[in-house]
Amino acid sequence: MSLRVLSDIDRQSKLAEGQSRLIAVLDGVYKQFAGSNQNALENINLEVFQKDFLSIVGPSGCGKTSLLKMMCGLIKPTAGKISWPTSNFQNSPENPANLSYVFQEPNLLPWMNVYENIKLPLKIVKEDTYSADEKIYEIINLVGLKGFEGYYPKQLSGGMSMRVSIARALVTQPKVLLMDEPFSALDETRRFELSQEILKIKKEKNLTVVYVTHSIYESVYLSDRIYVMQSHPGKVFEEFDFSGIDKNEDYRFTPEFFEQAKVVSDSLQRAQYA
Amino acid sequence: MPKTHSLIVIFGLFVLWEFLFHALNLKWYLLPPPSMIFASIQSDFVSLISSLWVTIKVTLIALMASVVISLCLAIIFYFSKFIERSMMPITVVLQVTPIIAIAPLVSIWVDSSQMATLICAFLVAFFPLLTNTIAGLKSTERNHLDLMKLYRANKYQLLRYVVLPNALPYFLSGLRISTGLALIGAIVGEFVIGPISGHSGLAYRIIEAGYQLEIPKMFASVVLISLTGIILFNIIRLISYLILRDWHSSYSNTE
Repeated sequence: MSLRVLSDIDRQSKLAEGQSRLIAVLDGVYKQFAGSNQNALENINLEVFQKDFLSIVGPSGCGKTSLLKMMCGLIKPTAGKISWPTSNFQNSPENPANLSYVFQEPNLLPWMNVYENIKLPLKIVKEDTYSADEKIYEIINLVGLKGFEGYYPKQLSGGMSMRVSIARALVTQPKVLLMDEPFSALDETRRFELSQEILKIKKEKNLTVVYVTHSIYESVYLSDRIYVMQSHPGKVFEEFDFSGIDKNEDYRFTPEFFEQAKVVSDSLQRAQYA
Repeated sequence: MPKTHSLIVIFGLFVLWEFLFHALNLKWYLLPPPSMIFASIQSDFVSLISSLWVTIKVTLIALMASVVISLCLAIIFYFSKFIERSMMPITVVLQVTPIIAIAPLVSIWVDSSQMATLICAFLVAFFPLLTNTIAGLKSTERNHLDLMKLYRANKYQLLRYVVLPNALPYFLSGLRISTGLALIGAIVGEFVIGPISGHSGLAYRIIEAGYQLEIPKMFASVVLISLTGIILFNIIRLISYLILRDWHSSYSNTE
């Protein structure tokens, strides 16, 4: 099985079978922004399973970012429910350390150097500051920032800044990583390099990743599952399951990969005229 | 080095002034030559410097008071729209009313002339610091605030890690303006209020010298005041540089 469009019936059975691995459920979520009479997001139903790499693909303005911001509590849904089944978290899902968010821009604090930027979440959450140093250096090595600890953001390139941003998100040892088009400002090579690293880190840290992007290729390469969205109002149009595909580095040049990319691309096309 | 350039220009102007004084045979009691001004500084050194010290003291205390009070107010205003909206007009009234008009009132209300001068200097120096700091606090990026919200930072953490550092460059540029204004306020205040019980500041020395037609001494006082202003300004500039050079984009060290 390589690729599968899920129908509603599939979804029910998948929910039942994956119950024990369920990490997040969005149930009929609506979002309407103040001053607008149209829904930005309409009836969003989606679920995130443990160790998923889940991508949300859609045209600009379809509410992908809002969806992600709702998941981490930065904005509140107008209607519907977002729940985090507690059983799959070691501590309370409300603990901000469990959930990390990588912004579209690196979003570093310019007055702190690399080390301080990465340490910031630990200082705020005040979690286990005793072993903080060790944790920070482990992460710094993991994302390839060794030797850059004392640099300030203005001295870093775009790719390096993004690495710091990812390191900062990882330092609290989250279970779930929410990423909002994190590499959209980078060139193709850096992009690939960093997405490779995200895959590696995901494996090493047993992360669950929710990844928002407008790049079809990126989503097909990285994801186990893809939600294709349509806009005005933002809705889930189709859902694809890619799990079980072996994604080595050469996968992105196989005919199979392009075939899948085409399927997702067609889906996006249809979503536009739906 | 533009700095040495401007020093040379200033020196050149002094030489030209000296030369023109002798060449055109000007009257020393109308426009004394630089040599006479510096001679006056030398001969009245002790009294001038002790007066200068009085003025500097008033300036610095007023400046410190405006730093503390404007910071506190700015933080309160930042967290409470209601208080900001109700208090801001009052601070604007204080700012737009000329200090020279308020000073006589202050001198009536406050017994100690040192306190009265201080209040004048404070009133002038305070406003740019307040508005700049508020602008700095409010200019915090949405994304930075979101980051803090994500980790559920409390108000203190929000201030310490994000909002205050963000306001720092604005605060420092306000401080640069306020330093000059505090000095002006101290001088103007003394002009109106009179000497500070027994120890007069430089403003009163100017009035005194004017009465006694000691024109070189008047000029000497003015030179000392502007020198003080220049030095204070540069100290603040140096402090800004030391604080901001590492991270702020206005001090580029990557090229």
